[in-house]
Amino acid sequence: MSINSLVCSSATEAARLLGSNPRARYFGGGTLVMRAINEGDQSFDTIIRINDPELTQMQIAGNRLVIGAGVTMSALLRHRDAGFLHAAARSVGGPAIRHMATVGGNLFAQSPYGDFATALLALDAEVIVADGSRMALVDFLARRNPSSGPTPVVTQVSVNRPASAGDFWFLKVSRVKPKGISVMSFAAHLPRAANQLQQVRVAVGAMAPTPVRMLSVEQALEGHALDAASIEAAARVALEGLTPPTDAIATSWYRSEVAPVHLKRLLTGAMR
Amino acid sequence: MIEFRKDLFADERDDNLNEVGQPTRRQDILGHVTGRSPFFDDHQFDGLTHLKCVRSPHHRARIRHVDTSAAERMPGVHRVLTERDIPVNRNTLLALINFGKDDEPVLASGQVNYVGDPVVAVIADTERQARDACAAVRVDYEVLPHVLDPEEALLPDAPVVNETYPNNSFDYHEKYDHQKLRFGDVQSAFATADKIVEARYQMSPIEHAPTETNGCIAVAETNDRIACYTSTQALFFSLGTVAKVLDISTARLHFVGGTVGGGFGGKVDTVVEPLAILGCLLTGRPVRFVYDRQEEMQVSSPRGAERWYIKDGVMNDGRIVAREFRGYFDGGAYTRLSSYAVIKGTAHLPGPYTIPNVSSNVYGVYTNRTPASAMRGFGITGVDFAIECQMDRVAEAVGMDPVELRLLNAYRDGDMKAHRREAKNCALIECMQVAAEKSGWAISDEFKKLSSLSGGGGERAIIPHTVTDEHGKIGSSRAPGNTIPGSGYQPAAAPSLAAAASTTYTAAPAASPMPASAPAPTHAPVSSQPPATQAPPSRTPVRPGASSAPGGTVNADSATRPATPPPSAPASRPATSARPRNNNRFSSLFGTRRR
Ligand SMILES: Cc1cc2nc3c(=O)[nH]c(=O)nc-3n(C[C@H](O)[C@H](O)[C@H](O)COP(=O)(O)OP(=O)(O)OC[C@H]3O[C@@H](n4cnc5c(N)ncnc54)[C@H](O)[C@@H]3O)c2cc1C
Repeated sequence: MSINSLVCSSATEAARLLGSNPRARYFGGGTLVMRAINEGDQSFDTIIRINDPELTQMQIAGNRLVIGAGVTMSALLRHRDAGFLHAAARSVGGPAIRHMATVGGNLFAQSPYGDFATALLALDAEVIVADGSRMALVDFLARRNPSSGPTPVVTQVSVNRPASAGDFWFLKVSRVKPKGISVMSFAAHLPRAANQLQQVRVAVGAMAPTPVRMLSVEQALEGHALDAASIEAAARVALEGLTPPTDAIATSWYRSEVAPVHLKRLLTGAMR
Repeated sequence: MIEFRKDLFADERDDNLNEVGQPTRRQDILGHVTGRSPFFDDHQFDGLTHLKCVRSPHHRARIRHVDTSAAERMPGVHRVLTERDIPVNRNTLLALINFGKDDEPVLASGQVNYVGDPVVAVIADTERQARDACAAVRVDYEVLPHVLDPEEALLPDAPVVNETYPNNSFDYHEKYDHQKLRFGDVQSAFATADKIVEARYQMSPIEHAPTETNGCIAVAETNDRIACYTSTQALFFSLGTVAKVLDISTARLHFVGGTVGGGFGGKVDTVVEPLAILGCLLTGRPVRFVYDRQEEMQVSSPRGAERWYIKDGVMNDGRIVAREFRGYFDGGAYTRLSSYAVIKGTAHLPGPYTIPNVSSNVYGVYTNRTPASAMRGFGITGVDFAIECQMDRVAEAVGMDPVELRLLNAYRDGDMKAHRREAKNCALIECMQVAAEKSGWAISDEFKKLSSLSGGGGERAIIPHTVTDEHGKIGSSRAPGNTIPGSGYQPAAAPSLAAAASTTYTAAPAASPMPASAPAPTHAPVSSQPPATQAPPSRTPVRPGASSAPGGTVNADSATRPATPPPSAPASRPATSARPRNNNRFSSLFGTRRR
């Protein structure tokens, strides 16, 4: 048996094919799917791609940026409008991976991957799928489960554009630099009104099966000035609701020990 | 930037070397940087087929039934191999040098003993077809209890990992379940030491992670020969092993090695060649068997895990007067090279330090983990890590600078090592002095003045009155009721007097071969199994090299004392050099200092 490769001209068509064939897999940039093929993954024998240029576009819509699911990390890094996401995009793999890795694929990458999705999460991202329906990324990730039937074909992701560059912070913690896999990654959107944090969003990757929001941390910061006291309060609740995984990169224990420290560093950096 | 310290040992070296100290181009680098180095997988053949294995998903299980019928009917499949196809389905790597018993099947027969143990091999036109056919093989397993910890494996009720070694430990010298080293009397020395420092050290297995995974291609040649292009590091080991397990003449095998795409010891086990060559013999097609990355990580043998217990008796001035080891090499499910690692490790004890009382029991243990094998200095690296951590602990315990503590205890020319060889060509002191100087680590003048050339020998050359014992006979750890992993006794807890015996060995004269009348002592580590005979006891300690060391003193009554005295502190001892200056501190043959 060999692998069948199908190319569709629209997301709708791809969604239909995927829905009707449980042994088909959507192929974005292929950094993970191709690896599975090379390693003889038995769970699929068909790959489906979309050649609709729509998927590789990026546009500004008011205070939101809409990114096509097929936009690669390298393409995003060439776009000035996406400057606030450059740190996150640059943190994904090495140049070869970034050249192929797509934004859509990152939403599906298993922990400890998903650095870019972590950044999107802190920007109140919405996911737009083939039939045009929208879903908050938080809910999308909460329901993500590769073993539970066909996943929807993602066409776009829309995110908040931070009002100023100093409002959005990203930190990837890895042991091997610059290309290591995440021990964890953080993203924080810290808009300020009259020196008080408003609508705080903090997300963390590689600390749960998918990137997640740090709701207790957000609460500890909301309405406060970003200062030593509020950062201390945030670090104290950093682990609330998290049971970090043990994997080849780090143990659960290690992740728990260092998470508050790194969160504090991120927030302290944002304070200055 | 390299700096050569030619001021050290200057009178012992001919400075006429052409290569050492000169920049030189490594011989394979041009091929590597121009992409022309030929690797085994660069050979292309018409009709190439691919081999993949069905592997055990369990740590330990009985195979009730194997059904390959569906796989055989799959598209592209040429042949499915099971244990029945292997002519001699049991081997051990070192059998070629008569060390150890054949204990490892090429394909599992009746039982699997680690996750990844190969059970069935499929040969098909494409890798994907071979994998799909592997997925169609039905193996009915009865999952059995397993053991993953080396100390637990030595408990009486632990599951038997490897039927060839039912005690879960390699048999040493047909007598003991571990390798012994006895030198002096550690128990008496512990009793008189100012401080005891004890600790446990442990290392995990390490995978070599070569860029090129283990692999080979076997292809029929003319004249009834099979050519095998392989990544092996051990071409003739592979040739001999294949001839043995396939029961064919070596004359029919043409092995082609060449560039190894990353070895580090990870390509000495003959694992891919037997199946690829058998496949080629049975199908007539070229067969390629290459580990994928997951197999390389999970199945290819790593450096084994080790656990060490070290107990030191230390005087307040920093001299270590006794050192006791209990070590476990986790060999995984089959022997491979772990039996040798134990011996090599033992020969290295107690590290590069002169310690007058040393005792060690080291076990080669079977567990239901991936079989371990060679990796860069295996047998030594693990215990060196333990020893050097221990040295820091000792320094802390006596409040000494850790470098000075090492300088104080470092061996010097003329000292007697625990395995009864005179230390020669020592340079540890000089190395540490230079390292301290280069790193700006302050050591006192007294220690800056030390030299490997002086202060050794004399009392430090004496082979002490040695306490021996017969603990840990093969099978004793499995005796019902034994609760202490290992030989059934912990040397630290006073050994039973009935079993303890004392022997004083006569040393062979330095630098001359052992006289035929004095067989190697049973407990001294040697590179192959010596006959299980006891060295004749002698009551006269002899200092090797006595005639050439006029300043030394012989402690004539040491045989009657319970323990040898600790070596004197270097500052207060007379300089005695047991070794004549003869310009051959460095061996011209190996470019290293002679042993
Ligand atoms: C060497 C290496 C290093 C890496 N380093 C990092 C890293 O540092 N950080 C990190 O986050 N990730 C890393 N990754 C993982 C991966 O490259 C990225 O997550 C990447 O963004 C995945 O995108 P892709 O387009 O290549 O996904 P693909 O491999 O194409 O697909 C991945 C999964 O997502 C699904 N999918 C893809 N696009 C869509 C879509 N539009 N709609 C529905 N389903 C879709 C596919 O069906 C598949 O299940 C690394 C991977 C490798 C091999």
